[in-house]
Parts: sequence; structure tokens; C-alpha cells
Amino acid sequence: MATKKLAFIVKSLPYKTEASRLALTHAIASQTVEIYLEDGDMVEPVLAFMGDGVLNCLKNQKAMTLYGVTSLEQHIKNSLLLDLKVMICKEDVERFGLSEDALIMDAEDIGGETNANIAPFNEIMKEMDSSDHLLFF
Amino acid sequence: MKLGVLVSDFRNMDDTLSRLKADKLGVILVSNGVYHAAAKEGGKKSWVLEKSPHLYVLSEDLQSRGFSEAEIDTRVKSITYSDLVDLIFNEYEKIIWI
Amino acid sequence: MAKLTIGVFSSLVGSLSLDFAVKLSEAAVKKGHSVDFWLSGNATMLSLKGQRTFKDYSALQKPVQELLATGKFQITACEACAEARGYHKEDTMEGCKRQSMDWYLASSFSADRVVHIGGD
Repeated sequence: MATKKLAFIVKSLPYKTEASRLALTHAIASQTVEIYLEDGDMVEPVLAFMGDGVLNCLKNQKAMTLYGVTSLEQHIKNSLLLDLKVMICKEDVERFGLSEDALIMDAEDIGGETNANIAPFNEIMKEMDSSDHLLFF
Repeated sequence: MKLGVLVSDFRNMDDTLSRLKADKLGVILVSNGVYHAAAKEGGKKSWVLEKSPHLYVLSEDLQSRGFSEAEIDTRVKSITYSDLVDLIFNEYEKIIWI
Repeated sequence: MAKLTIGVFSSLVGSLSLDFAVKLSEAAVKKGHSVDFWLSGNATMLSLKGQRTFKDYSALQKPVQELLATGKFQITACEACAEARGYHKEDTMEGCKRQSMDWYLASSFSADRVVHIGGD
């Protein structure tokens, strides 16, 4: 029985390219990866937003209404609903002058119990250090 | 950790590389990243060359862009795709592309 | 020998990042390693059959077919990303599989190294 940890590091801005959306959907795909693995083997994803990527975490995204695409807000809430670990870089949140109120910190409105965590970059580095593979988006 | 960073950009870089820390960090210049090894602006060399003592440039991408190995900074080692495979498997535990 | 998983999200022809990934695969296979090649996003274009070769354009169908022939390379496209772009199963080049995104995670699980090349 083995667990492999994959770190999905999102530094891209949303919508102009699909990079950050694909990071979320791939991380969420960890929920069904077991069909390919031996019994007891698992993939543990961790999602971290850094740099410009923290702007994916803003609330009130209207992408569905205006473009007919699921918003990054909804994808992040889905991740939290599925109990994925979600980290948002503290230094970059502060650099953009954002408050916690402006960010997607939970998925309570859809029944989620896991919260996102605003964390210093060195904690994100620790997650990268303890991960088996790193995927930058 | 031993982290190999494939640097693929020149002008459009964000601050990711400057923030990364590792026990051993290798900077492998590929695609447009090769300009860090060969181009100077205002007589100055790229800051990327100060990031790590382990600097590599992919010779195919360098030559595609009109540079010769004689023109690259002496701190940078020119490598082939075959060498890159060896770096990936033997020198670094994790690889990222930025 | 070891296994390398490469995930590429970059466009065919529009970016040479896919070419980089194919050349890296060639070098790895030549050294006796195996390669899993995952196409997602715009890179699913590479899964299309009938790509024509023109002098001014990168041409990857033939190198991919040659890699497949080694038996040490497998290429898989994200089914959702492909279908969203109008690429259907019958449009897929021989030897290229289609799977959902969890396939990439499973491949990464058993890989010795993963190189993820984001889109552009």
C-alpha cells in the first residue's frame, strides 16, 4: 500500500488560458484514480496558489453567467467539498492587498467541511518538499 | 530536495524561480529560456545565472535560435537531450517546467 | 530502467513545447527508459490522425508513430479535452489512447519522474 503525493502549484491567472482550470480538474480527478491502482494505493493531491495564481481564489466570479464556463471559484469549492488540501500564498495575498473575506475559503454553501488555508510561502515549499512530484500550472 | 527547473521563458517570467529553494537546485535553460545564457541587455547578463551554480542550457534550443556554445556564459554547461535525460533521472528528484 | 511521465498541455504546431516533449521522449526511450505521454488541453491536437507535413511547420505524427513502434512509449489524450475540441474517437491516430484525467495521476503514481509542461 503506497501513497504518492502530487503538488499542483497554480501560478497562472484564470480564463485567458485554461491552465489553472486544468490544474483544478486534474487535482479533483484524484477522486477516481483508484480504479487504475492496486488496492490500498492512493494519490494525495495538494493544491497551492502562488504568485498571480492567488487571484484564481477571488469570490464572485461570473464566468458561468457571462461565458458559460464553470468558474474557478466553483472548481475550488468542489476541491474543498472533496476535502482536498488547498493553500493560498500569504505573501501574494498581501501583495495584492486582499483580505480573507475576498477569497474562497470554504465550500459551506455546498456542504463542504474543509477550509482553504492562507499559508506563508515557506509552508508551500514544505509541501513541495514532501511531495513525490510537482506540477506547475 | 533536489529540484531541476526547466526554465522555458525569457521575458515573460514571473518571480517563481527567484522564490524556489532546494538543497540542490538545477536551472536548465530550454526553449526561450536559453536567452538567459546568451543574451545581454545593456551589457548586463541575466539574473537567472546567479540563481544556482548548477546551470545548463539545451544546445539544440540554443543553436535553433542562432547562438553558438562559444557565446554562452562560461558558468552554463551546454547539454543535449540525452544529457537532459541523465540529469532528470540521476541528478534531480523532482522536475518542474516554468 | 525507469519510467518518465510527461504531461503536455501546449498546442500542436503553435508552440514548440510539444516538440520538446517528443524529443525528450525519444532521448529517454533511446536510453532504455519507458515514457507515458499525456496530452491535455490544446495538446490533444497531437492525437489527431491525418496531420500533414509541411516544411515550415513542426510535424510530430511520424516521430510519435516511431516512438509507439519501440514498445516503450504510450501516448494518451484527455478524452474530455479532445471531445470539447471536436476530436472524436474516429479522428484519433492509431496507437493513441483516450482516457479521463485520472489516468495521468495513475501514470504519475508509478513514474520515477514526472515532467509537467503547462499550456502555451
